[in-house]
Amino acid sequence: MSSSYLVHAITDKAAHIWRYTSWKKAHPTGSIEDIPESNSPEISISLVDGKSIPEGISIDEATDLDIERLGHELDFDNGTAAPKFISAVVPKVYKFSIKDKLKIESPLLVKITTTGDICTVRLLIDIGNQVEAEIITIIEGDAKWTGILREGKYGANSIVNDVVTQITGSRLLRCDALSLGRDAQVKAGTVNASSSQAKIDIRHWLSEPGSSLKVNGSILSSNQDHLDSHIEITHTGRETHSRLEWHSACGGKSNTTGTGMLRIDAGAKGADAGQLFHNLLLSKKAKANSIPELEVLESEVVGCGHGTANGPLDEQQLFYLSTRGFDEHQARAALIAAFLNTPLSDMGSQQLHGWLIERIENHLNTI
Amino acid sequence: MSEDARSAVGDYKAGWHDPENATIRFDFGLSEQVVRDISALKNEPEWMTELRVKAFHHFNERPMPTWGNMHMLEEIDFDKVCYYLRSSDSTEKNWDDVPEDIRNTFDRLGIPEAEQKWLSGVTAQYESEAVYHSIREDLEEQGVIFLDMDSGLREYEAIVKKYFCSVVPYADNKFSALNTAVWSGGSFIYVPSGVHVEMPVQAYFRINAKNMGQFERTLIIADEGSSVHYVEGCTAPTYSTDSLHSAVVELIALPGAHIRYSTVQNWSANVYNLVTKRGIAHEKATIEWIDGNIGSKLTMKYPAVILKGEGSHAEVISVAYSGKGQHQDAGAKIHHLASNTTSKILSKSISKNGGRGSYRGMVTVSPKAENCKVNVVCDALLLDEESRSDTYPTMEVGNSGARCEHEASVSKVSDDQLFYLMSRGHSEEEALALIVNGFFEPFTRELPMEYAVELNQLMALEMEGSIG
Repeated sequence: MSSSYLVHAITDKAAHIWRYTSWKKAHPTGSIEDIPESNSPEISISLVDGKSIPEGISIDEATDLDIERLGHELDFDNGTAAPKFISAVVPKVYKFSIKDKLKIESPLLVKITTTGDICTVRLLIDIGNQVEAEIITIIEGDAKWTGILREGKYGANSIVNDVVTQITGSRLLRCDALSLGRDAQVKAGTVNASSSQAKIDIRHWLSEPGSSLKVNGSILSSNQDHLDSHIEITHTGRETHSRLEWHSACGGKSNTTGTGMLRIDAGAKGADAGQLFHNLLLSKKAKANSIPELEVLESEVVGCGHGTANGPLDEQQLFYLSTRGFDEHQARAALIAAFLNTPLSDMGSQQLHGWLIERIENHLNTI
Repeated sequence: MSEDARSAVGDYKAGWHDPENATIRFDFGLSEQVVRDISALKNEPEWMTELRVKAFHHFNERPMPTWGNMHMLEEIDFDKVCYYLRSSDSTEKNWDDVPEDIRNTFDRLGIPEAEQKWLSGVTAQYESEAVYHSIREDLEEQGVIFLDMDSGLREYEAIVKKYFCSVVPYADNKFSALNTAVWSGGSFIYVPSGVHVEMPVQAYFRINAKNMGQFERTLIIADEGSSVHYVEGCTAPTYSTDSLHSAVVELIALPGAHIRYSTVQNWSANVYNLVTKRGIAHEKATIEWIDGNIGSKLTMKYPAVILKGEGSHAEVISVAYSGKGQHQDAGAKIHHLASNTTSKILSKSISKNGGRGSYRGMVTVSPKAENCKVNVVCDALLLDEESRSDTYPTMEVGNSGARCEHEASVSKVSDDQLFYLMSRGHSEEEALALIVNGFFEPFTRELPMEYAVELNQLMALEMEGSIG
């Protein structure tokens, strides 16, 4: 594994995913040829409602066969250094699986608790066919640098809301590489509330006909945070549908970047895809960058589009709230919360939404 | 013309070539001696020679870009390009004095006729040098300077020295270094304070020889409160080997000035068109790039504006058509450095027969630029299954008061629109051509009428045979 990483370690800054956070900056030691010792985090699963875990859900150490079947790291055509690095340093590879046809009533919590200087995990995700589930993955703990590689597949006809909340205060490198089965309906959410430096690379492949994906991001940055998210969606199957809505509220002296790549391969007839980046700039020293890219190689598409909007809080809305008795601080907080809530409310059920709101409310006050 | 070349360029109507009657032709390949020889031939001041040599070394050291169409870029063989070719010994002010074969070429392109009807001045460049140049007397009397760049350097050295490379430094990119090293021809325009040049001035660039490199350099300075509209057109013959066009254009709009720069690029499908265009807008000045890319093998062109002065405005309207074997990698760059600056980018592209159209843009708002407004719209039409469309926009916003919007869409021609037009008696091909012309309309309406008509005809020609 390590030799495979070293072969790919040299990355090109011209590739837009490394333009704002070089691999050197994302690497835990800054010396890109270094493959340091790493801890393994504690991983536990539970249900939000406190009931016992239904049969058919498990987290085990992965076998070589699992890695071969579910691993996607080789599918990264650029930015390949990050997933290969995590593969090279992880002490253990885990497989999280939900068996076919399982319907889970309450959101499932997958808690990843990190420790030590450097903590990494490679988690293979194997969601069976016709599964209906809401999964909340929480990344927390006190490791100084955390690396997470999530790879795998959502089975055919599955309906999955898969939310990752990053409430670790450490530096974070996260790579997701997931493919959707035939007619799968997936909502993939990301909530960031306290990472000081994060490089996130989320990739989905809609390779089977009829699959549908919604990627939502609700990103809060403050102080000196540096948050760089790259979201890549590739349509290769026919009649596939995807939407991306990424909201970033940027305060303090934070630097927030959202890069998107929406690729419609030749043969993906009937693809319908769109991506939107919204940045709310809350302070004079905050900075926001958006690069929503589009590559379309198929003419028979329903439509492909992208958009980005950057702006301050709306003065008229602030004025309206002040006429209703809000002081300036309350009015700003309400508008920021509403802005972040738009993608948040679309990530899953009321129960999941309520859980998320509870967790990030405290962080809103930091702005 | 070889069969390969013929099939590559289809109905390109400016693809003929005349016998080559060079008075001076350099051997293929580039060396410091070639650079010094070009400078010596033009009897240039020493500072320009040294600048050329520095740029040449930078060009050699600078690697090829690692983005864009790297595959096509790697195919350029800089040792098989002729860097200087002169076909006429002087720049004439009367078409009758221009050598007959060259005059016939420009006659066929309709330049003298257009000049009489609707232009304030014309520069006609053939290979490396301007062969004809004129400006209306009344403008000359008002102090407007419109010269080919070589004459500009000779006659107004102080102005040229002040502004040359001030907007596009030679080290900006590999091709700006190449241009600075071997530039020849192009236009030099100075519009005095308060003078409005009502009718456009035009430059027409023609490559005739095989494996030719054309490296014109254009510098336009609009003094306070003045305005000028510059139009450029370009064509080349169709050969089976490639030619290289690598220009640099620098615009300086001083306070309150207005510069509009319109281009209809119709190079043949064997020309690499790698151009750096950039302007600086001072207080309340406006710079507009109206950019049409129809021809060439590979175009990489991103007209840029640096909004340096408060209240300045930039606008880029571009269209691109990519046919068989073509890649139009075009876009725009706007840098908002000052407060209350506004910009608008509208980009439209059509890809057909396996062509690839890419929009690559960048908008930055500096932390000190308060109350800026940016609007970017990109639309692309894909006409068949082999073609491709990409959009690579970048927005870097460092000021919380900025309002920046970007939207893009890629679609195919609507069946409903085709059906409607066909139910009104149009053939499918005519209906498609009408829809395509309508799609390009925001661009054509900004062009002088004669150019707009020409562009519509060009597009109709490109659409021929697109059905079935």
